[in-house]
Amino acid sequence: MANYLAQFQTIKSTCAHLVIAVEDVSDLWPTVKNSFEEQLPFKRASLNNKTRNPVFVENLPAEFILTTDARLRSRFPQEQYLFWFREPYATLVLVTCEDLDEFKTILKPRLKLIVQNDEREWFIVFVSRAHPSNDNATKMAKKVYAKLEVEFSSKKRERCCKFDVHGPEANFWEDLEARIMECVRNTLDRRLQFYEEEIRKLSEQRFMPIWNFCNFFILKESLAFMFEMAHLHEDALREYDELELCYLETVNIGSKRREFGGLDHGDDQAALLLPGNKPLTQIVQDDSFREFEFRQYLFAYQSKLLFKLNRPFEVASRGYSFIISFSKALGLHESILPFCMREVWVITACLAVVNATNSQYNEGNAPPEIEREFYRLQGDLYSLCRAKFLRLAYLIGYGTEIERSAVNSALLSMLPWPKPAVWPLVPDNAASEMILQESPRVKPFGIERKPLALEPTALIREANRRRASLSAGSSSEMLDSKQSFGDGSATDVSSKTSPSSKAQAISMPRTYSSAGNFEGSIDRPMKLAEIFVAAEHALKQTISNPDMQKALSSIQDIEQKYMDLTKGAADNYHRSWWKRHGVVLDGEIAAVCFKRGNFDLAAKSYEKVCALYAGEGWQDLLAEVLPNLAECQRILNDQAGYLSSCVRLLSLDKGLFSIKERQAFQSEVVSLAHSEMKHPVPLDVSSLISFSGNPGAPLELCDGDPGTLSVAVWSGFPDDITLDSLSLTLTATFNADEGGKLRSSSSNVLKPGRNTITFPLPPQKPGSYVLGVLTGHIGQLTFRSHSFSKAGPTDSDDFMSYEKTTRPILKVSKPRPLVDLSAAISSALLINETQWIGIIAQPIDYSLKGAVLHIDTGPGLKIEESHSIEMETYRSVDHSSTDTANSGGARKDDNKGLEQLSLLDGKIEFPDWASDMTSILWIPIRAIDDKLSRGSSSGPPRKQSIVDRMRTIALKLEFGISNNQIYDKTIALHFTDPFHVSTRVADQYNDGTLLLQVTLHSQVKATLTVNDAWLDLQDGFIHAGQSDGRPVSAFLPLEISPNSRAGLLFSVCLGKGTAEDEIKLQLESILNIRYGIAGVRTIGAHPPAVAKSNDTESTSHDLIFRSALILQRPVLDPCLAVGFLPLPSNGLLRVGQLVTLKWRVERLKDIEETKVPQNNDEVLYEVNANSDNWMIAGRKRGHVSLSTKQGSRIFISVLCMPLFAGYVHPPHLGLPDIDEANISCNPAGPHLVCILPPDLSSSFCPVVAESNSNKSQSHCHLFQSFLARRRDLLKETPHAPLIVIGRPSQLRSSPNAYQRLEDLDMHFLEKKATAVA
Amino acid sequence: MIVCVAVVGHQNNPLYIQSFTDADDALKLHHIVHCSLDVVDERVNNPKKSGPTLNETFLGLLYPTENYKVYGYLTNTKVKFILVTTDLDVRDADVRNFFRRFHAAYVDAVSNPFHVPGKKITSRTFADRVSTIVQSFGLSSAA
Repeated sequence: MANYLAQFQTIKSTCAHLVIAVEDVSDLWPTVKNSFEEQLPFKRASLNNKTRNPVFVENLPAEFILTTDARLRSRFPQEQYLFWFREPYATLVLVTCEDLDEFKTILKPRLKLIVQNDEREWFIVFVSRAHPSNDNATKMAKKVYAKLEVEFSSKKRERCCKFDVHGPEANFWEDLEARIMECVRNTLDRRLQFYEEEIRKLSEQRFMPIWNFCNFFILKESLAFMFEMAHLHEDALREYDELELCYLETVNIGSKRREFGGLDHGDDQAALLLPGNKPLTQIVQDDSFREFEFRQYLFAYQSKLLFKLNRPFEVASRGYSFIISFSKALGLHESILPFCMREVWVITACLAVVNATNSQYNEGNAPPEIEREFYRLQGDLYSLCRAKFLRLAYLIGYGTEIERSAVNSALLSMLPWPKPAVWPLVPDNAASEMILQESPRVKPFGIERKPLALEPTALIREANRRRASLSAGSSSEMLDSKQSFGDGSATDVSSKTSPSSKAQAISMPRTYSSAGNFEGSIDRPMKLAEIFVAAEHALKQTISNPDMQKALSSIQDIEQKYMDLTKGAADNYHRSWWKRHGVVLDGEIAAVCFKRGNFDLAAKSYEKVCALYAGEGWQDLLAEVLPNLAECQRILNDQAGYLSSCVRLLSLDKGLFSIKERQAFQSEVVSLAHSEMKHPVPLDVSSLISFSGNPGAPLELCDGDPGTLSVAVWSGFPDDITLDSLSLTLTATFNADEGGKLRSSSSNVLKPGRNTITFPLPPQKPGSYVLGVLTGHIGQLTFRSHSFSKAGPTDSDDFMSYEKTTRPILKVSKPRPLVDLSAAISSALLINETQWIGIIAQPIDYSLKGAVLHIDTGPGLKIEESHSIEMETYRSVDHSSTDTANSGGARKDDNKGLEQLSLLDGKIEFPDWASDMTSILWIPIRAIDDKLSRGSSSGPPRKQSIVDRMRTIALKLEFGISNNQIYDKTIALHFTDPFHVSTRVADQYNDGTLLLQVTLHSQVKATLTVNDAWLDLQDGFIHAGQSDGRPVSAFLPLEISPNSRAGLLFSVCLGKGTAEDEIKLQLESILNIRYGIAGVRTIGAHPPAVAKSNDTESTSHDLIFRSALILQRPVLDPCLAVGFLPLPSNGLLRVGQLVTLKWRVERLKDIEETKVPQNNDEVLYEVNANSDNWMIAGRKRGHVSLSTKQGSRIFISVLCMPLFAGYVHPPHLGLPDIDEANISCNPAGPHLVCILPPDLSSSFCPVVAESNSNKSQSHCHLFQSFLARRRDLLKETPHAPLIVIGRPSQLRSSPNAYQRLEDLDMHFLEKKATAVA
Repeated sequence: MIVCVAVVGHQNNPLYIQSFTDADDALKLHHIVHCSLDVVDERVNNPKKSGPTLNETFLGLLYPTENYKVYGYLTNTKVKFILVTTDLDVRDADVRNFFRRFHAAYVDAVSNPFHVPGKKITSRTFADRVSTIVQSFGLSSAA
């Protein structure tokens, strides 16, 4: 069957469509041909696929071929089966007939003959030529067609349709297409069945010796081809897939060693997308095909179908794996293939797939994931291609040009060398083609880095090992000796040689070896240069593609190609998920750009790479790229970038660069910083200089206090670095905007590692603060660092430590009292005397070191400058009370005793010892009050107005670290006289002598001693008897303990006395008391400070206390007496009975003009009576004349009538113009009078509430003495005055009058008022 | 032969990377590991593609190259383990087993109270243990 291969090939090439045979029975085809062919391709077809599922195919192409055509005739039956796919899929029988007889006799038998062949799918098209106007003909045609339908159509299947030449019916074409499709479908199914059966049979023999893959292939591909013709591409693809699987399964089975292929010229160019690259007959090998060609052939068909299915993505993905696996296959057969065939093939294959898929791929059609995947595959293909290309470039001696980057190293160093059976030899004519090697590039900053290997093993060794004439062992020995001889370093593996020695190893032989050396080189190992030259020549033999040859011909071309491939890979990776691949390749592009002097582009690309590595913390890789970036920036004069690159270099792991290199980075930074920079650049050195507060509790400051903050700064510089300035911001945690900036005063030198920098801290607002940003200057360079290190030197690899620490470094507490100043005295001080006032200064957890107290006395108070101020430690009260007991005032213990301080400009400086303990400051002051104290008349001492004797002293304490804290306090001081004096007349004699009782109330908490007392009397009073106004001296001195009282009695009498001028002027009496005081200053009043502090205790200067008293003349006698004359008759009053009430008004004494400013002889009177009870007849109010002389009297009578029976108040005569006090009721009138009911109603019985009867006139006296008694009893105990309720209001006059003489301790309330209350 | 194992943190930062080659070519292995993160990312970000293996820590062969293989393993905390081997026919089960042991070693290492999470693993015990695991990798496949 393999013989049919050629035929199969030609058949395939000739037929591309489904064929529909036309059996032209009535020679109609020429007339209808055009209209029929217009219907092609079929718009819509429903076909069954291999799994018998309907598949809709659109635009199915087909061809109508007459059965008489040569193409359909003269085929051998066997051929027909084998290439059945080309046979017609439907037979269209074209008939016409205009006569029933003709149909019956001629047409019908003929048709029966045609359709009896079961193999064919047929159907009949009846062509009606009848013109529509010709009714007869039309009818006849219809009849014939009906007959035809009856004969050939069955219920199951319509096999007829009618075509009118003159205007076909509307649905004719649809019908026709449906018929045809039905036929095609059936045919397809039948043929499919046949092929499947055949294939099944054949594949059962797969592992048998008689197996012939070619036959299988022809069947399988026929089927595939049939599917393809029917546009069932999916199924066709599946057939090819199965074919490939089957091939791979069987290709290497069996003992027969087949040829691999690939030895023809041009085979180095991949044909994986060229289906017709080589005729199959050429690649047939026994009963199978050569692997090299056939696998490409299969892939080509697969990709063709995939492209037809519009799946370029799948082509790429299948293509990549195909290339990988095919490359492996090439590797297996490398020994028989031309030198580097594998590499060349892969390069061309990758490029072919890339180009084909790219041209077929429409962006945006696929879902995004697929699209990314597609680009990834493109990138992979480019990348693979690139690797192989680099390998070739290396082999022909351009290894030094290849960037020894991690990417290239990863790609190449694990890629084995080509393994030709024999390493190519240097052709004789090649000796002159020596390339002078360039010296390797020097890395910036003088970084010495061992270059990464690009070769899996030493090429020189590998090449020599593969030479036929040398055994592996001897070659290596020779090589070793040669190498060690050639360059001093005895290294046999080139990957371990240093760049310089490596360069020598490469360049020396190339440079110095002469052509003669190559003569007869069979017997000695090849030198590296020879290997390169040999490889180059061998490659020229291998590569058939001129483009490819050109790409490898010169360094520029290599670089260009390399650039194209790298860019292609990078661009595609960038569009895929594999960003890292893309960015890394950008770095490779950058290297080329750099080499070409395109520093701008190089810098941009390098930046991307650096950002990638830095962002993810791959420092080792970063360390490789960053110097290149820095170099670019340096060349571009990008100072900011260059500096930041240097800083980044410095902040990399210390192990990545040597000390020398790091010092070089630093010196770059420093020299640049001090050079002329156009624009001072800010530089972020967060990774290099980090800082933190000291561990432990944060520094705590009080509000307003400055302080110093010490911060640990870690420097990552390898050497000391001098900072021109350094400042640090603090950020408040409560508000990000708040915060201060601290500036380190001196210029700092940062040692490598930890430095402690102290910042002066100005007062901050209350709150807690964290460290903000560290900024500083090095020369003109402004740098800032945001990073915080917790403790210990920063791990510069830890890029995540960029988080802010929240640990507060400084806490400024809210304003709180830091000190308290208070007065030490609890009670009043003596006024007008020098007194010590104690001020307790109590620090509250705060040092008062260096505190200054400003003292400002208020009005009426002054500091006695003559005395120095004393200061001592303060003992709390309970202590001092015990202390005073044993040692009096001077306390001596471990506390600081008294210290004399002096007042300067109203300021006192605190001594150091007082900074932390509570101390008391004694300040001598004197309160001045010009007013003389006044005594009060009898009764308890009236409340003195406190404000009167209050003085204030304003204190201002400046303290704190820099006297920044101020504490203001105004202390109120109470001053008082030693005594309060009250007087009363103790007794009064008839001769006008008054016994004046002077009560001295002690006002101070100190014992007072009255040494002497005398009274300077005012005008109108004289001392009684011969006394000089002093009490009996035997009682003196009189000691008055605190809060107690003492009394002195003076007897004075009214009288003009000796009218001396001085005394005449005196309106008040003055009580003089000479007294001494014994008190403690901590408590209150105390002996006044004496300038010369001699024995104050014993002979204390007596003090004089003066108090003014006002003595008043005794209360005057009443000047008028009003008497209620006894009622006339027998005192019985009846309701309705008129009665005359009489009053007698008598002048008791002369009225002094001053006191009664009224008409002397006229007295206004008024009768008051309850109008319910009384009816007054006559004038109620009027003036009566009364002589001003003593004893004159008049009677006033008023006619009244009682209206109400019972005890009622009688009318009352009042004198409104005259004060009640001047009226005495004598004889007094009755309170109540008894009114009898009218005669007729004598049964009325009034009730007299005896108990309720208020004190009658006769009771008054008793009542008053009773009140006086009560007062005396209650004197010591606090009590409210007694409330006396009485009626009528006249009743009050008596006790009120009495109360003027003596306090009765009562309030009189009228009964009416109680009702209101 | 395993040429390199690496632990990569959840921010794709290297936590531990150790090569087992004679040549001084750690950098290229760094590169391989770093680039293989692309594949890990792709798998993680494309849940459709990972499909049934969504919940599996073992990511399998990350990408095929001609000369070496890269396997990946993703822990729940998004820490990646990468294995680079030049063995071209490695059984999946062996790799799974390797990663399981490696994971255990890692967990022990980061459980050290003195280890700062997210920092490089500097524990020598871990390094020793890893090299033991690596050495036994071939053995277990033989057995």
